[in-house]
Amino acid sequence: MSEPLVLAVPAKGRLQENAEAFFARAGLTLIKPRGARDYRGAIAGLDGVEVAYLSASEITGQLAIGAVHLGVTGEDLVREMIPEADRRVVLIEGLGFGFANVVVAVPQAWIDVRTMSDIDDVTTSFRQHHDRKMRVATKYINLTRDFFSSHGIVDYRIVESSGATEGAPAAGTAEMIVDITTTGTTLAANGLKVVEDGTILRSQANLVAARGATWGKDERDLARAILDRVAAQARARAFREVRARFAASTDMLVENAKRKFNIETPFGGPSGSGVLTLHCPPDEVYALTNFLRENGAEAVAVAELGYVFSRDNPLYAKLEAGL
Amino acid sequence: MLKAGPQTLDLNVLETAMDANVTTRRQEPDARAETLVASYERAGYVRVAPAILQPAEPFLDLSGEDIRRRMYLTTAPDGDELCLRPDLTIPVSCDYLASPVSGRTANYCYLGPVFRHRSDAAAEFLQAGIESFGRADKAAADAEMMSLGLEATAHYGVSAPDIQIGDVALFASLIAGLDLPPAWKRRLIKDFNRKTNLAQDLDRLVLGGNNARPEYQGVLAALAGSDPKGAHALVTDLLSIAGINAVGGRSVGEIADRFLEQSALGASARLPREVRGLIERFLSIQGNPDEGAAALRALAREAKMTPALAPALDQFESRTGFLEARGIDVKRVRFSTAFGRGFDYYTGLVFELTDPKRTGDPLVAGGRYDELLTRLGAANAIPAVGFAVWIERLSVYGGGL
Repeated sequence: MSEPLVLAVPAKGRLQENAEAFFARAGLTLIKPRGARDYRGAIAGLDGVEVAYLSASEITGQLAIGAVHLGVTGEDLVREMIPEADRRVVLIEGLGFGFANVVVAVPQAWIDVRTMSDIDDVTTSFRQHHDRKMRVATKYINLTRDFFSSHGIVDYRIVESSGATEGAPAAGTAEMIVDITTTGTTLAANGLKVVEDGTILRSQANLVAARGATWGKDERDLARAILDRVAAQARARAFREVRARFAASTDMLVENAKRKFNIETPFGGPSGSGVLTLHCPPDEVYALTNFLRENGAEAVAVAELGYVFSRDNPLYAKLEAGL
Repeated sequence: MLKAGPQTLDLNVLETAMDANVTTRRQEPDARAETLVASYERAGYVRVAPAILQPAEPFLDLSGEDIRRRMYLTTAPDGDELCLRPDLTIPVSCDYLASPVSGRTANYCYLGPVFRHRSDAAAEFLQAGIESFGRADKAAADAEMMSLGLEATAHYGVSAPDIQIGDVALFASLIAGLDLPPAWKRRLIKDFNRKTNLAQDLDRLVLGGNNARPEYQGVLAALAGSDPKGAHALVTDLLSIAGINAVGGRSVGEIADRFLEQSALGASARLPREVRGLIERFLSIQGNPDEGAAALRALAREAKMTPALAPALDQFESRTGFLEARGIDVKRVRFSTAFGRGFDYYTGLVFELTDPKRTGDPLVAGGRYDELLTRLGAANAIPAVGFAVWIERLSVYGGGL
C-alpha cells in the first residue's frame, strides 16, 4: 500500500471550524472515523488522503520539513517560522479567513510618532538618553528584524513574547510591540496605535504545499483532485450565473458587457434557443441585469453557483510549477 | 573471500589517511597561529581565554538584532539567553571589567574559536587578536595596533597588504560642529556608522519632520516661533492632563521635546543644501594620511570649522607620526573619511588589512572603541583599542614560521 497524502488541518478553535467549512464547501468532508477526539482523519470519498489535526505552528513546521504534503496555516507563521519560505513551501491559495495584519504599534501618547522614520529617530535618541535600547515585544522575531532592518532601524532590542504582547508597554517590559491585529480594538484598549507605514504583513489562512514532501504520481493525483474541487468552488464563489434570452445577435452585446462588468462566457455564445449564459462577479450583477434588459432581454435569471469545473486547474498548476 | 582481505585493508588505510588529514587540517594553522600569539605575549600582551559560552545580551545590545540570525543561541534552564561567542572583543572586555585591574591599563591577546552562521563556510573558525585597555597615549596605541596587525599578515607571508584606514572621530566632530537640529545630527551619525556609503545616500535622506500629523501642522507652526520653554510646558501639561506620565519608557518631557523639535524642523525634511555640500566634500576626501589631513585642514578653514575639527585632526596627525616612527610607509596607507566598519561602537581609528589579489575580505580588522566599556557597564570611560586576525583567511597563504 502506498503512503497517503497528508493534509494538515488546524486542530482547534475558529481556525479548525473555518478550515472544515472551507473544505466542506469544496465538497470535501473531513471525517474522523475513529471518533471526534482522534487527531487523524480522512476525507469522505477520497481514499489515500490522511488528515492530520495539528496546531497552526506545528503545521507550519511540518510543511517546512516536508513531513506533510498540504496544510492550512497563516501566512504570518509561514513567513516568521520558515527561513526563505518560498524555497520550502508553495502558498497555493488564500482561503478567505483567518485575516490578521502583523503591525508595529506604539503608545498613543507618542504624539510625535507617526511613521517608521519617526521610530528610527526615536529609537536612536532613546539610546542616547537612556543608555539602553528600546525594546520591541513580539513573537514575530524574524518578521520584526527584517522589517526594522529594511527601514534602517538599528537601536532596538527584541523581547520575545508568547502571549498578551499588547500589554507589554503598560507593564513596562517593552516600549513598543509587533503583533497581529484584526480590528485594532485590542491595541486601542491597551493605549496603543498602529504606526502608519508599520504594517509588516497582511496575513490570512492559506492552503500551503510542502516542496520537500514526497510527490510521486499518487500524491500528485490526489492533490490534483483536492485542488480541482477547491478551485471549482473558489470559481463558483467568485461568480453568479446570469441567464437571459435574446432574439437578435448578441456578439456586440457580449463584447460590451465583458468590458463593463468583467463577465465571462463559460459556454461561449447563445444556445440554439437564444439563451445566453454569463458568469458575473457578484457586485456587478445588478448593473449587468439592467444592461441586459436595456438591450433587449425580456427576463434575466440570476443564480448562485455550486461548482464551476473547468479544463484547466490553476491551483494545481501553481503547485506543480512550485515543486 | 580472497577479495575481502584487501578491501578491508584499503578501508583501514583510508581511515588512517583521513585521520591524518583531519589532524593536519586542524593543527597546522593552529601551530602557526600559536607562534603569532606567542610573539604578542613576548611584546607584553597577556594571553587570555574567555569562556566559549557567553551571555547573549551584550552581543545583541552592541552589535544589534541583525547579528541574532548569525549567532548560535541557547536558553539556560533559568531563562538566561546564552550564545557561542561570535567574537572575542566583547568577552575579553567583560572579563577585564570583572577583574581586579578594571580601569587600569591592561593589554591582552587571544587565540580561539568563534562561532557565526555563514552560508558559505564553516560556522566555527579561529580568530586571534589584541585588546588594549586604559592607555591614555591614544595615538601611539593606535599606531602600535596597526603595526602588530601588520606583523600578523607578515607572519603568514603577506608582507605588503592593502592598509585601509578611517577615523570615526573626524565625522563625529564635523557633525557636532554643524548648526543642525539634533534630529539631523542623530540621523547622520547613525547612518555614517551603519552604511557603507553615506555620501551616495545624502540626497535621498529625509527626516520624519514633515511626517507630523496634518492635523497638528497648525499647532506646530504656531509653536515654532514661540518661547521654547513655554511651548514645552504647554505640551507637557497637555499630556499630563490626559493622564499620561510615562508610557513605554519615554517620559512626557521626551515626547514633548521631540514633538517640538519637529516643529523646529519645519516643512523642509531635507538636509539644507549648503550642509549637504559640505558633508559631501568631507566624505570625498581620501588619499594617504598626509594628503587627507591637508585636505581636511583646508576644508575646515574654508567652512570656518577649524575649532570643531582641530582636536580630532591633531590626534589624526599625531597617529600618522607614530606610524612613521614604527617604520610603516604611510604613503602606502589608504585613508578615506568615508571608511567605517559598520559598528557603532568605534570612536576613532578604524583599519583593515586586505589582500586585493585574493577576495578582499579583511585579514586583520580593528580600531578604537572608547565607548564600548562604558556601554558594557564601566563607571568611567576607559580608552580601548584592538584588532582581530582572521586566522582561517590567512592560513591559506603559503608563508611559514
